[in-house]
Amino acid sequence: MPVNTGLAQVSNDFLLVAVVIYALAMLAYACDFAFGSKPARAAAVTVAAQPALVGAAAGPAAGEAADGGAPAAAPPDEGRPAPRAISRWVRIAVALTCAGLAAHVAGVVLRGVSVHRLPWGDMYEFITALTCVAVAFFLAVMIRYRAYYMGLFVMVAVVLVLGLAETVIYTPAGQLPPALQSYWLAVHVTAMTLATGVFFVAAVTGIMYLFVDRYARRVAAGRPAGSDGILRRLPGPEALDRLAYRTVVFGFPIWTFGVMAGAIWADRAWGSYWSWDPTETWAFITWVVYACFLHARATAGWRGRRATIIQLAGFACLLFNVLVVSLVIPGLHSYAGLS
Amino acid sequence: MTGQAVQPDIGPEVPPDAAPPDDFGEPAAAPGRPAARLGVAGWLRWGWRQLTSMRTALILLFLLAAGSIPGSVLPQEGTNPAAVSQYYASHPVLARVLGSLSLFNVFGAPWFAAIYLLLFASLVGCVLPRTLRLAGSARQPPPRAPANLGRLPFSATYASALAPEAALQAAATVLSGRRFRLRTGPGWVSAEKGYLREAGNLLFHIALLGCLVSIGLGGLFGYKANRLLVTGTSFANTVTALDEFHPGRLVSPGDLQPFTVALDHFSASYVTSGPLTGQPASFVAAIRYSASPQGPMRSYALQVNHPLVVDGVRVFLIGHGYAPTFRVTDGTGHVVFDGPVPFIPVETSGLTSEGAIKVPDANPQQLGFAGVFLPTAVDAGGRLESAFPAPLRPMVSLVSYAGNLGMNSGPPQSVYTLDTAGLRRLPITPQPLAVGQSMKLPGGLGTLTYTGYQQWISLAITYDPGQLPALVSGIAVLGGLLLSFMVRRRRVFVRARAADSGGTILDVGGLTRSDAAGGFEDEFSSLAAEISAQAAKE
Repeated sequence: MPVNTGLAQVSNDFLLVAVVIYALAMLAYACDFAFGSKPARAAAVTVAAQPALVGAAAGPAAGEAADGGAPAAAPPDEGRPAPRAISRWVRIAVALTCAGLAAHVAGVVLRGVSVHRLPWGDMYEFITALTCVAVAFFLAVMIRYRAYYMGLFVMVAVVLVLGLAETVIYTPAGQLPPALQSYWLAVHVTAMTLATGVFFVAAVTGIMYLFVDRYARRVAAGRPAGSDGILRRLPGPEALDRLAYRTVVFGFPIWTFGVMAGAIWADRAWGSYWSWDPTETWAFITWVVYACFLHARATAGWRGRRATIIQLAGFACLLFNVLVVSLVIPGLHSYAGLS
Repeated sequence: MTGQAVQPDIGPEVPPDAAPPDDFGEPAAAPGRPAARLGVAGWLRWGWRQLTSMRTALILLFLLAAGSIPGSVLPQEGTNPAAVSQYYASHPVLARVLGSLSLFNVFGAPWFAAIYLLLFASLVGCVLPRTLRLAGSARQPPPRAPANLGRLPFSATYASALAPEAALQAAATVLSGRRFRLRTGPGWVSAEKGYLREAGNLLFHIALLGCLVSIGLGGLFGYKANRLLVTGTSFANTVTALDEFHPGRLVSPGDLQPFTVALDHFSASYVTSGPLTGQPASFVAAIRYSASPQGPMRSYALQVNHPLVVDGVRVFLIGHGYAPTFRVTDGTGHVVFDGPVPFIPVETSGLTSEGAIKVPDANPQQLGFAGVFLPTAVDAGGRLESAFPAPLRPMVSLVSYAGNLGMNSGPPQSVYTLDTAGLRRLPITPQPLAVGQSMKLPGGLGTLTYTGYQQWISLAITYDPGQLPALVSGIAVLGGLLLSFMVRRRRVFVRARAADSGGTILDVGGLTRSDAAGGFEDEFSSLAAEISAQAAKE
């Protein structure tokens, strides 16, 4: 079936609109940090000041619950920052994020309609789809955990990546070569797209963790903490660490499934379910590094900072695979559509 | 992977009853240095504990990841042997060093095998004791309730009008209704749930071992082969008829399944407009096959992603190209060559292909031709190029040689290139030939006619008995992973004491050993509320 170029153009327009709205949302999140209501600073520092104690106890709030006797359960700080009033800026930002996501989804769907297949066949489509997943997942996490503080950081990353996709990586809509015409492709790339979007959010959280952790250490040591305007408004490192961990735990089985679906596809297309093609190798390396993270987080002396660095290394491997391996190193996965 | 664990999330597991419940998650004894005087057994035990410690497993995992990197950056024998030879040609010294470190065959290298075998030894050392412990703990009741439930991560206190025993009974009813395992004592109930988490964790690690074994099975009993097949010809699955044959270690030539495949027709279609012009849209090879030499022939439309399965062996369409046909008459007037010669594509956008014609039977001298085939020849500033992969204007351009082809001596040579060592180039300018045109060789050596072209396909033939076990292991890996991430192991304790004013004060406490999924606080508060409601009702 021929490509519907008119629809493809509409899809491009929607994606451009999405980038613009995301940029506005990013500004609104930034305004919340600048002009929004002040959080209870003392509470944040208390939590942050005792990372060692909290890290060693079985439950994060074992010490705080000890003075119990209160009739209601005292749930620990499960990734939810101290509740503060949702500022006007946050409302605007969330509304803009939703609007941007709607345009984004429309762009991705129209691209799929215009080429009569799932819209993640080449690099450009893959990136637009994975950022779409990242934004949707981030919205869910943000609303579930009231983690509005993440908005600025996720939006900066999304605007950068999507902008890059629109300008540098853009590939016109087209049909797929025969090797990519398989429903296992749909399953494989869908899972990889989902997992990448989820890991994207985990990586952003991990980077936030590193900054907040350093800030908390400085505060605990009584040293001047430098530019702390944003950092002191973020939740404590424990909460960020747990959020990142849960995000990875959510993404890891999806990634595992995606790699397996890819193996099944390879088996159908090339006759061998694993042939150590460079992209396969890097998917495997990524899997191993995330497995390292999961094990490291359960190991004494590796939790917190070191585990987070491993997690970020895992995402770096993933990025290397997407951006370098499939474009530069020749292999069976040279599908990017760039030459 | 015992020891070193503070929070048994993924790998390690502290024996549930080895420590009192308020130490739920206390580090197990770290594998220390062996005491001063240890026998051989002591050193072995120390070594085993080091190997199976979580830290060693982490290091081995890192090594596995780092060791894979050269396999993706350097060309590999298994996937791209031609690129390896090219690398040897352009960097002879460096390539020899890299080659001696097996860096061109990373995934078959002894050091890579050492990493994953150590990792799996570490895994076995971790999984076996844990399986035994899980079996043991599944038979044991939950631990006693701690004295002060208020010190647990989750706790709540309620008043009830019931007597302490009745209030406890009500709490036990709620907990067993939620399918907790119960243990009761004087004035307390303790309950535990979520053993499937550890079972899933074990399943995950055991299934990883299963994956390794499946890959090993394929490597021992499976084989891979390639065969190039020109339209109108056929071949039988025997070692001599295959172009490339990579048997597993325990495969002998007699083990090959005796099927035959004939290619009747191959058609390819390409995108004809837009920015992706020339990109392939579909490939279909009309083949006939038979499972045994005398068996009936069946038809099959072989396509990419739709392999032919015959007798447990799978045949894949992995490539295609053109085989121009030539007729060569030698200096004595005899037709000494008449047939197709497969040319190998050197680029994809126009399928420009290179190949060689060897005519060893020509007299008075052997003849050889090397050249290119252009499916859609166009003039690009004085040079001929192929503008489209379909044969719209198929032309060949050949360089002619005469002399000794060197086919009867020396190392085996490629059929796609000419060894020009014993040949002399004939003084004739290569002219592009259209179908039907001829080229007369100087010195009365003969004539070559370009008679047309055929298409060829390349087939990959694979037999892998480890495939199904690998799939089953893969599904088990995923199932185990999901169980260990989604099931939460948690304990709930209830203590009842008589209140001064009559009735009972109920303390409820809870803890979980996993923060993978969150949500225990919600479960705990709903459970505590239900216990309180139940105790108020009766």
